Amino acid sequence: MNSRIVTIVLLIGLAVTGAMLVARMSEFHLPGNQQGYSPVQPIAYSHLLHAGEMQIPCLYCHYGAQFSRHASVPPANVCMNCHREVTASLGAMHAEDALAEKEKRKPRQVVSPELKKLYDALALDANLKPDPNKTPYPIVWNRVHTLPSFVYFDHRAHVNAGVECQKCHGPVETMERVRQYSDLSMGWCVNCHRDANKTGIAGKQVRASIDCSTCHY
Amino acid sequence: MPEKFWTSFEHLQAPVEPDLAEFSDTPLRNETGPDRRGFLKAAGFSFGAAMLAGCTRIVNKIEPNLIQPEGFIPGRSVYYASTCNACSAGCGTLVKVRDGRPIKVEGNPEHPVSHGALCAMGQASILGLYDSHRVMQPVVEGKNVSWNDADAFMRNRLEEVRKSGGAVRLLTATVHSPTELAWISRFLEGFRNGRHVQYDALSSSAILDAHQQTHGSRFLPRYRFDKADVIVGIDADFLGTWISPVEFMRGYSASRNPNGSRYAWHAQVEPRMSLSGSKADRRVMLAPWELAVFVNDLADAVRTGNSKRAEVAEIANRLRAARGRGLVVCGLQDTAAQQQVNSINETLGNYGATIETAQASRQKRGDDRALESLMGELRAGQVDVLITAGVNPVYDVPGGEVAAKAKTLVAHALRMDETAAKAQVVLAGSHSLECWSDSEPVEGIAGIVQPCIRPLFQTRSCLETLAAWSGKPESGLNLIRDQWQKEIFPKAKSNLAFDKFWEQSLQAGFAGFEPSPRPKTAGTARPAAAPPPAARQEGFDVVLYAKPALFEFREAYNPWLQEVPDPISKVAWDNYACLGPQTAEKLGVTMGDVVRIECGGQTLELPALVQAGQSETVVAVALGYGSRLSERFAKVGPEWIEARPTLNDKGQVGVSGTPLMSLEGGLLRYSRSGARVSKTGKKADLACTQEHHSLTAPGHLRPAAGATRPIVQETTLEEVRASGGHRPKEAPEPQLWENDHPTPNHRWAMVVDLNACTGCSACVVACQAENNIPVVGKDEMRRKREMHWMRIDRYYSGSPEDPQVAHQPMLCQHCENAPCETVCPVLATVHSEEGLNQQIYNRCVGTRYCANNCPYKVRRFNWFQYSHEDQIANLVLNPDVTVRSRGVMEKCTFCVQRIQEAKIESQRTGAPLRDGDVKTACQQTCPANAIIFGDLNDKNSNVSRLMADDRRFKVLEEINVRPSVGYLKIVRSEAQRDTEKENG
Repeated sequence: MNSRIVTIVLLIGLAVTGAMLVARMSEFHLPGNQQGYSPVQPIAYSHLLHAGEMQIPCLYCHYGAQFSRHASVPPANVCMNCHREVTASLGAMHAEDALAEKEKRKPRQVVSPELKKLYDALALDANLKPDPNKTPYPIVWNRVHTLPSFVYFDHRAHVNAGVECQKCHGPVETMERVRQYSDLSMGWCVNCHRDANKTGIAGKQVRASIDCSTCHY
Repeated sequence: MPEKFWTSFEHLQAPVEPDLAEFSDTPLRNETGPDRRGFLKAAGFSFGAAMLAGCTRIVNKIEPNLIQPEGFIPGRSVYYASTCNACSAGCGTLVKVRDGRPIKVEGNPEHPVSHGALCAMGQASILGLYDSHRVMQPVVEGKNVSWNDADAFMRNRLEEVRKSGGAVRLLTATVHSPTELAWISRFLEGFRNGRHVQYDALSSSAILDAHQQTHGSRFLPRYRFDKADVIVGIDADFLGTWISPVEFMRGYSASRNPNGSRYAWHAQVEPRMSLSGSKADRRVMLAPWELAVFVNDLADAVRTGNSKRAEVAEIANRLRAARGRGLVVCGLQDTAAQQQVNSINETLGNYGATIETAQASRQKRGDDRALESLMGELRAGQVDVLITAGVNPVYDVPGGEVAAKAKTLVAHALRMDETAAKAQVVLAGSHSLECWSDSEPVEGIAGIVQPCIRPLFQTRSCLETLAAWSGKPESGLNLIRDQWQKEIFPKAKSNLAFDKFWEQSLQAGFAGFEPSPRPKTAGTARPAAAPPPAARQEGFDVVLYAKPALFEFREAYNPWLQEVPDPISKVAWDNYACLGPQTAEKLGVTMGDVVRIECGGQTLELPALVQAGQSETVVAVALGYGSRLSERFAKVGPEWIEARPTLNDKGQVGVSGTPLMSLEGGLLRYSRSGARVSKTGKKADLACTQEHHSLTAPGHLRPAAGATRPIVQETTLEEVRASGGHRPKEAPEPQLWENDHPTPNHRWAMVVDLNACTGCSACVVACQAENNIPVVGKDEMRRKREMHWMRIDRYYSGSPEDPQVAHQPMLCQHCENAPCETVCPVLATVHSEEGLNQQIYNRCVGTRYCANNCPYKVRRFNWFQYSHEDQIANLVLNPDVTVRSRGVMEKCTFCVQRIQEAKIESQRTGAPLRDGDVKTACQQTCPANAIIFGDLNDKNSNVSRLMADDRRFKVLEEINVRPSVGYLKIVRSEAQRDTEKENG
């Protein structure tokens, strides 16, 4: 009797474990491999909107990629180049305009809740003027693409050789939230370097070294 | 190794095969191997850990700037021109700033004093910034206070003194910052009895005093070694520690290029083996009391042309033959002797030629007479306020404890040194990388010190403090700018507006101007013959000296400098009593035996070190040790069961030699006679690295036919000139392996000029800073586990009493047929297609086969996790170089991160890589220009040219590993060749 209960409990436990494992199968990854990683960011920034619909070039915001090893997340002042003017989506603006017309008043400034976070970080008031009562604070983003510290990767070398951003980062312009597209493993790097040496990049002959010390030092 | 060269006395007496064990006392030796259960446990654990690691994500954060400053790009280094403040030489620097933090200091190639070089101390100065043991805020009467409170306290106290007319004394080291000097006088003007006293722990006061006598003005001339054809150094270690070593080394190596049109002859007269002595063509060993006699004899011989003493006659004749091209420098703290030296130089017409007086040096301005009278005032209790800034008189002035007798002692200090510990008020000083200042190392050359980071702690510069106390609180920038606008700009005769001039100077790091002429009174051109020296006392002569790299006390806190082996003795982390070989034998002491030195009522106990080439009556002790600043090293190095402490039983590194110094007759004196030395019977460990990693061709690999070739090779000037510099074409050696590793793009290689190398060890520290090399501590060094990628081997040849010295920088030779590569079971070390021998840390499993198979013994193993948790000190790490973990082999990479950076930048800008675009860290800093790195595929590169030089040889060439590092032979004089032949 007792043994049967034990067996049943064990079986149920096993089944639950199995089900959980199967359910999480899609997330299975080898140690160090973060392919598919797509963390929630402090501001729901959409690459689909900016890079896709608006067709802002990648290097407009990630300008560091041409000059430095880091592409880097743009500082807030780059966001403010546009968002000093654009404070909400076009739809929300139109809706406010329509409402104001109906209520026979001047349209109020609409600020989307996500952009509010940007303005708060910069300590700006409702009119986007610096608010002396607020203190600015940094926006802490979650890093999506990470390489181990014993790998030296340089964006500069790749961007200036003509490698498209999408080659490694995938179709970012279609991603609402950025996801790690490639597995960023060494084999993946080396394969691309080998192919590039054979086929060239954008019709140009290139020399992509496969020496260890190209990346490891 | 041929018997001509020897590295230590053990080696000389019994020329046995050196200890070839790569590692001594391995921690695993006494352990039994892991048993089966242990293995299973470990395997299970690691499997589980691997699974866990696979399941957890490491969440990294990115915090971009809110408003990014223009020109700032994360990950891109920016260089700021500044001036080094580690000593008073005032070398120009370029500070590499990465993501807002300075990570490396390099020489500024355009600077007119240092010409792009930097010494070990300058290289290590950056560690002083990231020092978690700094004074982080002002301390008043033992309590941490804010600057406002400290200023209020001081203003009250100073106001009292101002009213009462009490004595205010400001004690500093040499100050040559024009702005600081202006503010010091402005500050002291407010007091009826205020005085500024400058002194140097390594004093040159006698030279200034002598010029007061002979030239009518108290100044230090600028010595131009680059213009000299005959150099005579009398107890002046100008390549090591004397006045401005970097500037002098540059000049010296420029004058001694055997391929050039002229080659300077150098004689060194000294009691102990100094760095300068190790490079001399003619070395005369004399006891300290004999030096003044020598100077008198030389003065006579220079005037008359002959002398009873052969060595004096030789030197005098050389000097007379090179009138206006000779240079006699003297480090003696003896005004009469210095006057004689001035008259020698005057007689020979060297003033105005190799000795500049119009644009004199301001690098040493210390006045020991003023110091002595200050000490007298302090002893008598006549000083109301004593402010020390950047000096530590309690430690480095004999009898300096009287500083505490000032009614108020105020110390402006970066660290809690002996003086700060006794002070009522400690003002937290800023590091020179955190504050504005300026400098004028040579009259007419003004340098700017600009901050590269905001002060890490609540600190303030001395300049800002003085301005605040003078009632004009102002930022350092404004103070400097104002001073430049008022004083320097009008004299600069620039066509630009001041703003432009300032901007240009700031970018260059310095500006030239017309100095105002020095007030001159008549001086006696020729001094009366110096009085005969006091009768020699019985017993030993104590000689106190400073070690290159560590200098005086100021750097005692710096673990990089503590870990640099002394270039001559090769001992790190200690000072010791150097004894001549015969004396040591007489006393029955060998290295490590503790001896007692008694002199003038003072007793020191130090381990003995038998030093070749030292006068037999001399016992030499290094200064700068036994300081409070070294107490922090209680925990340096790994902690494990057999670890021995780095500190001695007093809890310090080494023993202070200051008690043996004296301050009398208006001069700080570094030697005295009448000492007794006796054996105590105790033993002490000394971490001496020369016998580590000995180079030899293993017996069974030696070529059957030919003899082995010397590790260090020598030639003579005549041979160099005869060959015309070009080596005959060599037949290629037969190769076992096919040449299937082409190097189509670049073929990196290096040439080290052994004739230029002075052993100063700047490269060792530059490499440490560039490549994140850990500090291991004395015990690990003793166990042959130092981590330096670059070491400087020192070889003696000839007799122990009067040897010749060779310095040989040794680093990974990047062999074409690298023996390390063939034995690595995991291919963690392989060749690149640019000729580099690569070491891949993440692939290395730590078998250490490679190190065992390396004939040059340049591979270093991480026995422990040396990286540490000191978050402030870790800010100095170079983000381009991996921090290695335990169990990984490492070695010189030819600064591959710099090669990559240059290549990627050239690809970005489209400008092809030119010779000199890639400079390794060691090459960049080398004051002697002894290291040349470049691409052998570029036939016009410097390195290609030097590889084809007749002086070039390769170390252990006979084992046919085909190293990529070539060495240029040392050029010896014919006389040295002859003595050698006599010695067999």
